[in-house]
Amino acid sequence: MFKNEEMEINLGPQHPSTHGVLRVKLRLDGETITHCRPMIGYLHRGVEKICENQSFFQGQVWTDRMDYCSAVANNLGWAEANEKLFGITVPRRAQYIRTMLNEFNRLASHLIWLATHALDIGAMTVFLYAFREREDILDMNEAFCGSRLTTTAFRIGGLREDLPPGFEKMVQKFLAKFETCLEEYENLLSENRIWKKRTVGVAKLSAEDAIGLGVTGPVLRAAGVPYDIRKAFPYAAYAEMDFEVPTRTEADTYARYLVRMAEMRQSARIIQQCMDGMPEGPVMAKLPKILKAEVNEVYHATEAPKGEIGYYLVGEKGSGNPYRFHVRAPGFINLQALPKMAEGALIADIVAAIGTLDIVLGEIDR
Amino acid sequence: MPIPTLTQSIVITLIQCLLVVIFVFVVVPLTVFAERKVLGYLQQRLGSTRVASGHVGITGWMNRGMWKWGRVPVLSYWRGIPGLVADVLKLILKEDILPAKADKFVFFIAPALSMVAAVVVFAAVSFVPGVFFTFPKWFPYLGGLPVSGGIADINVGLLWILGVASVGVYGIVLAGWASNSKYPLLGGLRSAAQMVSYEVPLALSLLAPVVLSASLNFGEMSARMATGMPALALIPQILGFLLYLTCGFAETNRLPFDMPEAENELVAGFHTEYSGMKFGFFYLAEYINMTVVAALASGFFLGGPWLLPFGLQGLLNPHLPAFLSWFGEPHAIFFVVKIIFILFTYIWVRGTIPRYRYDQVMSVAWKYLIPVALVNLLLAAVVRCFAV
Repeated sequence: MFKNEEMEINLGPQHPSTHGVLRVKLRLDGETITHCRPMIGYLHRGVEKICENQSFFQGQVWTDRMDYCSAVANNLGWAEANEKLFGITVPRRAQYIRTMLNEFNRLASHLIWLATHALDIGAMTVFLYAFREREDILDMNEAFCGSRLTTTAFRIGGLREDLPPGFEKMVQKFLAKFETCLEEYENLLSENRIWKKRTVGVAKLSAEDAIGLGVTGPVLRAAGVPYDIRKAFPYAAYAEMDFEVPTRTEADTYARYLVRMAEMRQSARIIQQCMDGMPEGPVMAKLPKILKAEVNEVYHATEAPKGEIGYYLVGEKGSGNPYRFHVRAPGFINLQALPKMAEGALIADIVAAIGTLDIVLGEIDR
Repeated sequence: MPIPTLTQSIVITLIQCLLVVIFVFVVVPLTVFAERKVLGYLQQRLGSTRVASGHVGITGWMNRGMWKWGRVPVLSYWRGIPGLVADVLKLILKEDILPAKADKFVFFIAPALSMVAAVVVFAAVSFVPGVFFTFPKWFPYLGGLPVSGGIADINVGLLWILGVASVGVYGIVLAGWASNSKYPLLGGLRSAAQMVSYEVPLALSLLAPVVLSASLNFGEMSARMATGMPALALIPQILGFLLYLTCGFAETNRLPFDMPEAENELVAGFHTEYSGMKFGFFYLAEYINMTVVAALASGFFLGGPWLLPFGLQGLLNPHLPAFLSWFGEPHAIFFVVKIIFILFTYIWVRGTIPRYRYDQVMSVAWKYLIPVALVNLLLAAVVRCFAV
């Protein structure tokens, strides 16, 4: 007489909390998720193929448009991968400026994560507070390279321009207030009973599963694995910086929140060190007009805010374009963990899980 | 005082209804406006400051005026108020979409149900005890007749209020079901469980004033709660107020309990498929319900039309010097100020805390609120036995 049926429902591609155009196919038993499959590809533009048809200099513009919340980090990976391919040494001052801007970008990206994650769970004030600080970082991007979001901040071999006058003042002004801003967010969230109820023990991903699925970044570190490429394989000027890799062992959404908040503090520390120890000198290496590759391949990984972003480049003899280009996008790989996190949980938990993975669809679909 | 004939008393009741409807339809848009502004200032932004229409039409005219008057600092907080006119115009003029697979009749009746249930509650609310005002002698037909402070002086007013308020659940459940769509269905299911669960602690928390005042009539209850209570009754009153407010938040689907329409999970919950004025009815009903909850909290716990909350007025009045006696009397303005304060609390809470998960909402009701409400009822009974 009574029929027990599971309801199939599409979360997205148009949904307030799928961070763009992610579509998750859910099978629900009441409110419990029994089956969860992320469907991607709604924002596919073929970035890798496009880059293979453009010169090495032009490709960077496309890396802006992958993870548009952390364009600078993508630019850094691209520039360094090319420098590795052609054996270019970047001046020390350029390395420092790159490091600093990369950390500012980490702050901006983590602020976006905090904003949207909190909004998904219903804390809407944190959203606007975080955007307030991100605005200052975007202003600095604008002062440095003229654009705010799609920065194309670096050039192969260094930087196009040195820091603009007055930049140091902007940085110091930002750093002076940033700690109090972080405390403001934490006052609203960290010890909030509801926030803890919604995040503690939710969307767990153990270290074994995380490594097995290739998950990197804060999600991995919140499971207790202290893997940070900035420490493991230092690039740019990170070898000279003094910072810690925050880890937690709980491997749940709350642990990831704490890890990211601690990372923001470390980023502020790195920025301060960059400003204090900023060397003098040129910001651009001597380069030929056209870069022609030998037959050669490189894989260069950097620590983007969301995890390991790897650029795989193959050069073709005598050609000004890459022969093959592939991106190991952290969001794409991290999204694999979603079914593991969400199956068996409630429908409200998948919203928390998507938020805590910190995905950007531009990068996943490329 | 002349005794009104039947027709006269019907006319007076109609006038009272009109006054209440005016009150509701003034308070509700102002609450919507306050929500935008207060939330805005909580979040370090300005809230709404302009409307879409710019320079043409009614809203354009009001908009220009607002920007001009806005140069006076206090008035600048009212910038954006023409947006309310624009909002209502938009809701009325929007296309009314009927989903192809919806149950047409139920889909149509659901918004009306929640709206009517919300407004009708006001029938038993007494804004001020006794006479609100008297018509002057020269007034045609009704000259010299008194108008009381509530529409219907029902001796089981509280029962009426709780009964009618729980009909409002049907509006939401039926809307979720009739839309024949998946997200509204989930929203409807959630609201069925949530609102039925929260009716229990809500009613239990209101039983404490019933026990203390030994009445079910709104006016009598609020008068006795405000002036006739011993000092010991403070504990059940304050505890009951907190319980009632929590349940009230859940009953009106406001954060942190806005499960039926949890924006980030269910898109818009039960009213996802609604548009135009049908959606407007749900929107209005939510805000009217907020006002109702605020009115009840104000009447039963915050001393209604008296100045001080929690029965403190009764303790103060014997010591009140003669020249301050105005503060010892009931005034409708105190009642309204308290309603406004609770409406502000709604917005304040929304700007501060996140949303519970659905199962946690239920466990809050059954594991915490109901036991505490029962203890509170016991406390009230003890106070009633030994102190009153």
